[in-house]
Amino acid sequence: MIKSLIITHGNIGREMIEVAETILEIKLDIESISFEWKGDGSSMIRQVESFIERNKANKVIIFTDMFGGSPMNITTQFIGPNVEVFSGINLPGLLKFLSYQNKKIEFREIIKVVKKGAIDGISIISEYLGEKK
Amino acid sequence: MMEKTLVIQNKLGLHARAAAKLSHLANMFNSDIYLVYDEDRINAKSLLGILTLAATVGNDITIQALGDDEQEAVDALGQLFQNKFDEEN
Repeated sequence: MIKSLIITHGNIGREMIEVAETILEIKLDIESISFEWKGDGSSMIRQVESFIERNKANKVIIFTDMFGGSPMNITTQFIGPNVEVFSGINLPGLLKFLSYQNKKIEFREIIKVVKKGAIDGISIISEYLGEKK
Repeated sequence: MMEKTLVIQNKLGLHARAAAKLSHLANMFNSDIYLVYDEDRINAKSLLGILTLAATVGNDITIQALGDDEQEAVDALGQLFQNKFDEEN
């Protein structure tokens, strides 16, 4: 089983979970941490450690909002055989993850699919419409 | 293969919540199910795939199903369209 955690600047992660729950009309098994603007991040590190410890029987994906931001920088140290960190999560990427989360596909393959879903969700609409014509 | 063409009647078109309902329902069937709009043909079991159609009210959508429950699939999905995804009833 894959367990996931979203860590973002401000409450973006929590809001994304709520939006996904509204769209899908289900309660999601995802936790979120809002990055604390003050402090050295040690409280957040403890929360991540606790999450990984509670889910050590599972694979873990930590979604963060921006490459190079504090949530990503702080969680990079946890990357291992059962833990991966993803940066730049957006709503299409999250929805893609949720549709693959319980499929019998290898953990690393699912992460690649999520990355593709997130990237494919970005478009300049006039260009997109131009291609369709 | 079973096929049925319908007009999108709900005002918001195939937006996120409607696409989620559609893909969720499509996943309940064994058949391969596709939605066809203009020149695009996408897997109806994929929420993000449905969103790429960017189909709005008044557009014609064709449901195609191929498999042992293709008739039931086309009927059920067609009913969801006709019910305006339960948004305006």
